[in-house]
Amino acid sequence: MVRATALYLVIIIALVIGLICSSLVAVAYFYRAEYQRKFRYDQLSHNLSSGINILLSTPDSAYQKETKFSLFGNGNDSITLHRKTWGIFDVGIVRAIIQGDTIYKGFSIANTVDSAKWAALYITDDDRPLSLSGKTQIEGNAFLPKAGIQTAYVDNKAYDGDKRLVIGKKLTSDKRLPALDTSRLSLLNRSFSINGNKLKLGDSLNCSFLKPTQVVDFADKPYSLNNLSLKGNILLHSDTTLTIDSSVKMDNVIVFAKAIVVREGFKGTCQLFASDSISVGKNCRFSYPSCLGIIRSKTTKLSPQAKITIGDSGSVNGTVFTWEKIPAALKPQIELGKKDTIQGQIYAQDALALKDSCVIYGSIFSTRFLYKNSFTLYENYLINVQLNSNQLSPYYLSSGLLPVSSKKKKILQWIEEK
Amino acid sequence: MDRRKMILGKRVNASSVLEVVISMVIIIVVFDIAMMIYTNITRQSLSGQKIKAQAVLGSMLKYIDGSNSNSYQQSVVDGFTIERSVKHYAGNDKLLEVDLKAYDGNHLLLAELNQLLIQENSDQ
Repeated sequence: MVRATALYLVIIIALVIGLICSSLVAVAYFYRAEYQRKFRYDQLSHNLSSGINILLSTPDSAYQKETKFSLFGNGNDSITLHRKTWGIFDVGIVRAIIQGDTIYKGFSIANTVDSAKWAALYITDDDRPLSLSGKTQIEGNAFLPKAGIQTAYVDNKAYDGDKRLVIGKKLTSDKRLPALDTSRLSLLNRSFSINGNKLKLGDSLNCSFLKPTQVVDFADKPYSLNNLSLKGNILLHSDTTLTIDSSVKMDNVIVFAKAIVVREGFKGTCQLFASDSISVGKNCRFSYPSCLGIIRSKTTKLSPQAKITIGDSGSVNGTVFTWEKIPAALKPQIELGKKDTIQGQIYAQDALALKDSCVIYGSIFSTRFLYKNSFTLYENYLINVQLNSNQLSPYYLSSGLLPVSSKKKKILQWIEEK
Repeated sequence: MDRRKMILGKRVNASSVLEVVISMVIIIVVFDIAMMIYTNITRQSLSGQKIKAQAVLGSMLKYIDGSNSNSYQQSVVDGFTIERSVKHYAGNDKLLEVDLKAYDGNHLLLAELNQLLIQENSDQ
């Protein structure tokens, strides 16, 4: 008979050692797996940043179709790049792929402002001076007609602003406004003839920029949008009037219609383009980066006046512009209401009508100014208007459409990421 | 022995020679296996040096402003020899390809990092 007291002890010790070894193996496995995950994520992030830099440094025409390639030829650094035109801006989608792991980012791209061209005011030289009255303030560089700038007595009010009239450099303007970018205009103009699905809109619609653009086409039937939430890669198109109620929430949506009516109290971020008119009610808030633009490439004798009207106490954070390819009998006009605030840029191909207490933090490019009281219409008068380009955020980015933009591109907004 | 016997009040049996030999063989085998596992794990797991080298490269990349193109630089940071090469990417004069490599004392490559940066002074 063999007694086995020592064997019992050995087996217990062996079991303990086995347990320690297996836990060591498990810890090493999880540590390694977790580190590899982090390392891969870091590598994907670096590749994603590289992809973003490629999109920011290449011309607008590049990567209009989704392109996949290896960044450094290592085999584990594939990225896909895609650039879409999104109104006056571009949207870039970058995906970084390593084996089965993918991360992506969607962002809008805008141009930085060219400080050499930037001005608080650019009014074309129409062989007449610009007149200031009331508590008008112009802060920033101003391109003025050769006839200069002067004070005036309007509505029983004398000029009550800074004695320098322009707090900034006074430069001489040309007979014509610096032109808008024609290639961007033609891209925008193409969207007026886009055909889409006649979708029945539910309570909300959210479309990722990774997917094809969701085009909602209202064709030639006037339509009123109510109680809706629209977000992302959505384009609304109408051949006639489209009404947007204040109950509609819009986030990065673009609208192309013949005429657009925005009801009182609307709040959102969107780009609205019309060929005839945009009428915005009182107390509407358009957050950055929004855009209201008139683009008219065909003018007939019966064409109504191209006009953007913004109701009283409204605010637009972004761009407001009018453009007509062939000048009509009635020139395009932008009309601001009382106590309106524009933070960004106004480009009026012809007239900009301002009312009392309008505030513009940014820049105005206009052929002429209009001011109308009960009895008289004044041309090239600025009355009780605050125009200050220094109040605009230093991080403000413009669109390549506008003449003051530089070629340098930056990320305007992160749209989506995963 | 008599004292212990008195205290415990119990007789301790000695193991036989065969039992001790078998036990020794088992314990040696178990220890061998344990040592093999431990060696494998320490050999295969990531060294702290590699992780540190990766972190050093990551922090270095943040301070590269993209103003210098076509440059090669070697420096020693935290005991690692860092090679930094900057060149234009795929013929694009606005993009710089930054390649960072970290070596240990034996010139063994520990970590590598590639990224594209926009050249700061390009007018774009």
